[in-house]
Amino acid sequence: MRVTFYLVLAFLIVLTSCTGNHQKQLTLAVVSGVEGEALKQAASDYEKQTGIHIDIAEFPYTNLFEKELIDLKAHTGAYDLIMLDDPWFPRFAHEQVLTELTPLLKKRGQSGPDSDFVATSLALCRHPYQTGSLYALPYVGNSQLFFYRKDLFEKYLMKAPLTWDDVLAAAKTIQEKETAGAKGGQVYGYVERAAQGNAAVADFMPIFWAFGAEMFDANGKPTVNSPQGIAALEFMIELGKYSPPGYVSFNADDVGAHLLQGTAAMSINWPAWISSFSDQSKSKVIGKMEFTTLPDGQKSGQAEIGNWLIAIPRESRNAEAAVDFLLWAASAEQMKRSALRGNPPTRKSLFQDPELVAKFPAYPAQLRSLESSRPRPRTPYWNEIENAFGIFLSKANSGDLTPEEAMNQANAEIEKILQRAQ
Amino acid sequence: MQKSRRFFSALNKRELLLPALFLAPAIAVLLALSIYPLIYSITISLQQGTAAGVTWGLGNFTRLLSDNFFLTALAHTFVYAVSALTCEFLLGLGLALLLNKQIRGRGVFRASLLIPMMLPAVVVGVIWRLMLNPNFGAINETLKRLGINTASLTWTASPKLAMLSVIAVDVWQWTPFVFLVLLAGLQAIPPEPYEAALIDGSSRWQTFWHVTLPLLKPSILIVLLLRTMDLLRVFDQIFILTEGGPGFATETISLYIYRTAFRFFDFGYAAAMSFVLLALTNVISAIYIKFLHAKETI
Repeated sequence: MRVTFYLVLAFLIVLTSCTGNHQKQLTLAVVSGVEGEALKQAASDYEKQTGIHIDIAEFPYTNLFEKELIDLKAHTGAYDLIMLDDPWFPRFAHEQVLTELTPLLKKRGQSGPDSDFVATSLALCRHPYQTGSLYALPYVGNSQLFFYRKDLFEKYLMKAPLTWDDVLAAAKTIQEKETAGAKGGQVYGYVERAAQGNAAVADFMPIFWAFGAEMFDANGKPTVNSPQGIAALEFMIELGKYSPPGYVSFNADDVGAHLLQGTAAMSINWPAWISSFSDQSKSKVIGKMEFTTLPDGQKSGQAEIGNWLIAIPRESRNAEAAVDFLLWAASAEQMKRSALRGNPPTRKSLFQDPELVAKFPAYPAQLRSLESSRPRPRTPYWNEIENAFGIFLSKANSGDLTPEEAMNQANAEIEKILQRAQ
Repeated sequence: MQKSRRFFSALNKRELLLPALFLAPAIAVLLALSIYPLIYSITISLQQGTAAGVTWGLGNFTRLLSDNFFLTALAHTFVYAVSALTCEFLLGLGLALLLNKQIRGRGVFRASLLIPMMLPAVVVGVIWRLMLNPNFGAINETLKRLGINTASLTWTASPKLAMLSVIAVDVWQWTPFVFLVLLAGLQAIPPEPYEAALIDGSSRWQTFWHVTLPLLKPSILIVLLLRTMDLLRVFDQIFILTEGGPGFATETISLYIYRTAFRFFDFGYAAAMSFVLLALTNVISAIYIKFLHAKETI
């Protein structure tokens, strides 16, 4: 008797919990860290305003890609909105697992995304790049900046570095003069990161592009071993002579540590690091760092863009509600709140917002960098190509291979990856 | 005959039903979590995704032979496993023999030797990554104070020293395990064979070679089997310490499998590599068992 009673009770509980939440609910896949934190906050505000319940599935950066892609390919419809790092976007678009946004926008009387978005950020959300259909909206607008020690440049009467030649000359001067510094401390002229994979490639691409090299020609054939490509790698290795020992295995953290400790004078880095330079507990170089756009070579300097996008999976059962939330979260008002938490926006109006500029003085430089930035080569196989390319860059920097050997082998490996995909 | 048949039919109806019922959940779990994934991974290892669709065949396995990354990772895995195993075994055996004697402070030594083994591999990786940091790390700082020039000692960042570094970390962590198992083996040896050897006038070396080692064989077999399997599939420490770098210097098969599956999203190829690793592990284990699991003779 009692057993039956409990069984009925359990059944009722299950039943009510199933029906109770069923009407209005969204599930959001976010990355852990400051970028995801802002979206989580927005979700909880939205829930209070509208009564729509939003579930958050949070994953560390390293797992997010696989979790999302496995789920989307299995067509479970588990997520209504997903955060994507922009280099992943071509893969997701290629697998046709995202919802096209324009029809949903048209239903709301909008002909497309509003023109306040920075063009280079919005171009990332289209497949094919820039010209194709819209499958996402840009949420966090990172692009690389050039970091350098203003105080040391003034001390040795050098002008701000505008070209890579300036950078090399300055690195030489600083390293020679600061080695026997007043406190006996050593300042390395530059700090590179050449750990295989993302680190080496992200640090190398701005040099590679400035030297006039391209990863692919017009027919999609890899051309990393062009004379310009090899010259760019030679330059990277030359600059490595002024980097701290062991830079061949450095990641972003090591670069950040050297800059914060005042043991290196210049680097390419991401805006997320800017705020820590004015943090007393972390920084020994408060007020001494300057942030600017990337140096020129034969071509004008271009940063690598690294935006967080938000997309709606094709299998979402609540695409209508999801797009409402997406438009709300990416609105100027809400994105400003995300920006105040430390995420660079993707809207021009916010980069020029007086309150934000007062808080983030590097915004003008960030906007210039973002507007002139380039995406990583847009291919669904980017992860694999970046891995292979990074291995050979790292090997050249560690002296295992000559720059020419490294680029030839990288080119062959990239060609193999592309052939397999056909 | 008649009787036994009746016995079985009775069993069938009543006494087999209940055990079967009890076993059912375990079998269901086994099917769902082991058998099904195994069969599934075999099928995907035979599939290759192309622009035209999925093709079936041994494409993933033939691709292994022309994949330089795979072959290099395979070579690294063997270098890593053989060097680490040799060091761990010799050190572990030496320590076990030493601490099997009555020496003062034996308990303290034994306990403190086990600490590295208690730490999760990820923690070990992080600790050593910090200690081996060429600029801020404890190791180079100590060497510097001793007056040694550390400029070229970049450890995990040097293509020459990186493999040595990751091997040393594994030896640091897992020698205690080898020591522990061999010590247990040594203590299980009864005193009689030693007394007999003493009476026969055998030297200490002869006693070790002809009495201790043969009687220790079962423990040695266990230790070698477990360590070999672990070393061949090593992942976490190397992932934290070097991520396979610099360049490709410490990339092992497990790391490459991980990358292929979860970064490049090529599960079929990753499954094919996993089966090759499994086959190699089995072959090596079989060799150990053949040589060490001989009849115990003194």
